[in-house]
Formats: sequence, structure tokens, C-alpha cells
Amino acid sequence: AARMHNRKRAYQPADLSRLMENLELSPAEVVKKWRGEEDEVEEVEDNSEDDFFNKSKVDDAANTEDRYIPFFDYAALEEKWEDEDNIEALKSRFAVGHMNGKDGG
Amino acid sequence: MADETVQPLLQFEGHRHLTTRLLLSTLTGRPIRISKIRPSSTRPGLTPYETNFIRLLDSVTNGAQIQFSMTGTTLVYRPGLITGSAEGLGAMGGVLRHEIPRECARRGASWWLIPLALLAPFAKDKLNVVLHGEGCVTSATPAGDVSVDTVRTAILPLYKSFGIERGIELRVLKRSCAPAQGKSAGGEVQLVFGHQVRLPKTLHLMNKGRVKRIRGVAYAVGVSGSNNARMIDTARGVLNNFVPDTYIFSDVSKSPLITSSSRGKGDASGKEKGAVGFGLCLVAESSTNCVYSADVASPPQGGVTPEDLGKQCAYQLLEKISAGGCVESTSLETVLLLMAMGSEDVGRVCLGKDVLATEEAVQLGRDVKVFTGAAWGFRSKGMEDDEDEIVVSVVGRGVGNVGRKVA
Repeated sequence: AARMHNRKRAYQPADLSRLMENLELSPAEVVKKWRGEEDEVEEVEDNSEDDFFNKSKVDDAANTEDRYIPFFDYAALEEKWEDEDNIEALKSRFAVGHMNGKDGG
Repeated sequence: MADETVQPLLQFEGHRHLTTRLLLSTLTGRPIRISKIRPSSTRPGLTPYETNFIRLLDSVTNGAQIQFSMTGTTLVYRPGLITGSAEGLGAMGGVLRHEIPRECARRGASWWLIPLALLAPFAKDKLNVVLHGEGCVTSATPAGDVSVDTVRTAILPLYKSFGIERGIELRVLKRSCAPAQGKSAGGEVQLVFGHQVRLPKTLHLMNKGRVKRIRGVAYAVGVSGSNNARMIDTARGVLNNFVPDTYIFSDVSKSPLITSSSRGKGDASGKEKGAVGFGLCLVAESSTNCVYSADVASPPQGGVTPEDLGKQCAYQLLEKISAGGCVESTSLETVLLLMAMGSEDVGRVCLGKDVLATEEAVQLGRDVKVFTGAAWGFRSKGMEDDEDEIVVSVVGRGVGNVGRKVA
């Protein structure tokens, strides 16, 4: 049961260093796996050394360039930040004025 | 000196992360060979802006060797010593003027400036470089480069936490916007980096603090200043919900005149106007001096209202802040490379999960390992895994500035 539980968790720090060491994975695949977006690949991870499928997917990466500003879907962002819940959630990240002094460390 | 000749070439493939790899190579003094640069593209090999960057690299170093293959798909680079703007090596009166020709206008000036600023602390002498020319774009570009204002307000202040703080200045002498096809930009920007160190300090950045103020620059080049007011107004409309201390500067400038040498037409004086446009850059600063930046600019083909841009920029900033961590994606490269070049000690920095889970970050980690031999360590910040931040520990290389044995 614990095994099942573990497998589902994305963003584990230990996983990232392991994935980063595995030079057979392209950075995009590392990111995907670490985020837990590719569930079916997780299954075969243990023996990925041998039967890792052909890595000829680099072609779509050939046309991309390095960016400092990532692409954003502004329509989705607008929706997200019009939502009161999200605004409230983010407010904790701001030091708000003098009026509510020191109620948050 | 003999050991330099026997050092094996480090092999890399692909055109991505080219500046980072050249930078790492120069900083660590290890020669590299990059192959398969756009092998299947219709225009194979290095692009004009990439060769131009290599030329800039050559002018701030001494003794670098660069070899291209016939098609430009393979590059061998043996780095030299970083000399900065030393007299007699391309610099005139302590200033190195580097021209960015028109065919390089796809990338913004920040694409040159960010790597250049990373070399500067390790130079032998102070660095003073002016980027100018028809391809020098100071605004943000559609290719994803930030504006020089972001470099000035969000990236250069980061050097302070590494003990590099004196005499650093970035002056925007002429503003310019991303040009449409066949037009020129003509911006001019000067980077003065007067603080050279032996080793950057070890960084421990664990507390992201709370955002206490937002600053920004709105720029309009060759168009009405009311565009600025409209961008500022909408951006403030979004951000005032969060932080009252928001101040956005407005800079209206004329479109730069370009003495065009490449074409005969134009008016009698042989000058033509550069590209026009407007844009906004926002920087949020936290109580622990962590910065988050956002950048938008009008595309060269136009057709975007300033209200839309203002809003986009504000949302982009909120998104960056919500990603968490002490370092955001734009400045990730700067911070982690400076940490890797630090003294032989473990520096720690706290990053948001989604900042770390990008191709750039993963590849940077791998490249750093190839060059320095030390991989990054990761652990979650809190006890439980519901924390959305991860502590990255980076071992410094402890070699630092070879041109400067005494700090």
C-alpha cells in the first residue's frame, strides 16, 4: 500500500536528482516525469536503462529557442486572477501596509 | 600551461543553452565542442546572433580560440582569460563598443547582457561595454527576451547577495523596440561592471519573505506617452488589490535615428527612424530582497492595446510570485551559476517547484555537473511534502577568478 501511495506523489526531491542523473532522458521528459504527468511511463521506470524507447523525439525541440520569458496563456491567467479565492490565497505573500501590523510573521 | 592543451573537449549537442555552455566553458576554462547545431533546419548552423555573441565573448577575453565547421553546425571553443575592457584589446578609452548588426534583431539586448554580466565579476579588469547598432533591441522581444530594464532592476541587484555590489550600472542610452522584418532597432545600452571579485560569497537564501513593493518601467518609443499612462493604469488596477506600494515610472523617448549604411534609400541625410512600440516591465521586491519580474512589449506588427499589455504584465507578475521560491525563472541562471562559481562550500537556495521543473533548470543542472563535476542536491524545505518549495544545494567550485589572486 505504501508503495502505491509513494508512486503517485509528484515533485519528490529525491526523484529529481535521480531523473537528472539519467542522461537518457531529455530535459523535457525529466520535467514531465517529475511533475507526474506521465503515469504509464512510471511503470517501466525500473528497467528503463535497457528498453528505453527510441529517443528520436528531439525533432520538435529543434525548432524551439531559449526563452527568458515563458509563454503564458493570458486568457487563463486572467480567469485565474479574477477569482477571489486565488487573490486571497496570494495575499499572504504580500506585506500589506501598516494597518494589519504583525499578524503574520 | 601544458595542461590546457591536454584538456579533453567537453562534448555537447544542439543549439539550446548555447550561451550558458559558452559561459560555463569560459568561467571554468574548459574547452568545449558543440555539434549538431540545427542540423535539420532549413538554415542550419549558428544564427547571426549566436556568432555575434561569440564575437563579443572573444572581445572580452584574451586568447580564446574558436573554430566553426563549414556549415556552422559544429563549434569548438577554447576559452581564454576574461580580461574585461582592458586597454588595447578592442577597447577604446576603457569602453568596448560592440555592434549588433541588423540581422541579429531577433533577440533583445538582454540576451547578450545577462551572460556578459555573469562573466564580469571574474574579469581581470573592470568591464565597460556599450552595445549598439541596428540590431540592438532594448525592449522585451517576441523571442522571449526580457527588456534591459528588467536586467537593470531585477537581475543586477542579485549580485549584491554574492558580495558583488560596487560600481555596477546599466545605462539605457537609447531605447528601441523590436523591429518588424527589414526594419532596424538602433538602441544603445551601456553596461559598467566595476566590481571584480576573487570568489563570490556563498549564498544561503531560504526565506522568500513577503512582497513589499512593486516597481516598474513603462516605455514608449516613438509613440505617444499616453500609451504608458494606459498601461500603468491597468497594471495598477490589478496590483492595487495586493500591494499599495506600487510605482511605475514612465519613459517616453523618440525613436532612434539610424545612420543607415546598408541601404541607399531613406531621406537625404541617410538616416531613418528605428522601430516604434511600447512595453512594460514590473519588478516585485520582497522583504528579504527576493525579486520577481514580469515583462511585456508590443509585438512589431502592432495591434495590441496598452490596456491588454498592462493587464498581461500584471498577471504575469502575479503568476511569478505565486510560483514561490526565492529566485524566479528569469534570474535562475544567474543565481545558480554564481553559486556554482563560489567558494568550496555548499550554498543553498530555495526554489519553487514549478521554477525548478523547467527544461532550462534541468539542463542547467546537468551542464553544471559536466563542467564542475558536482551535481545539485535537492530536498524539500519543510518536514512534510506539502511544501511547494525545494532547497537546492550547490557546491561551489572554489577556483573563482584566475586573474585576481588577491581580492
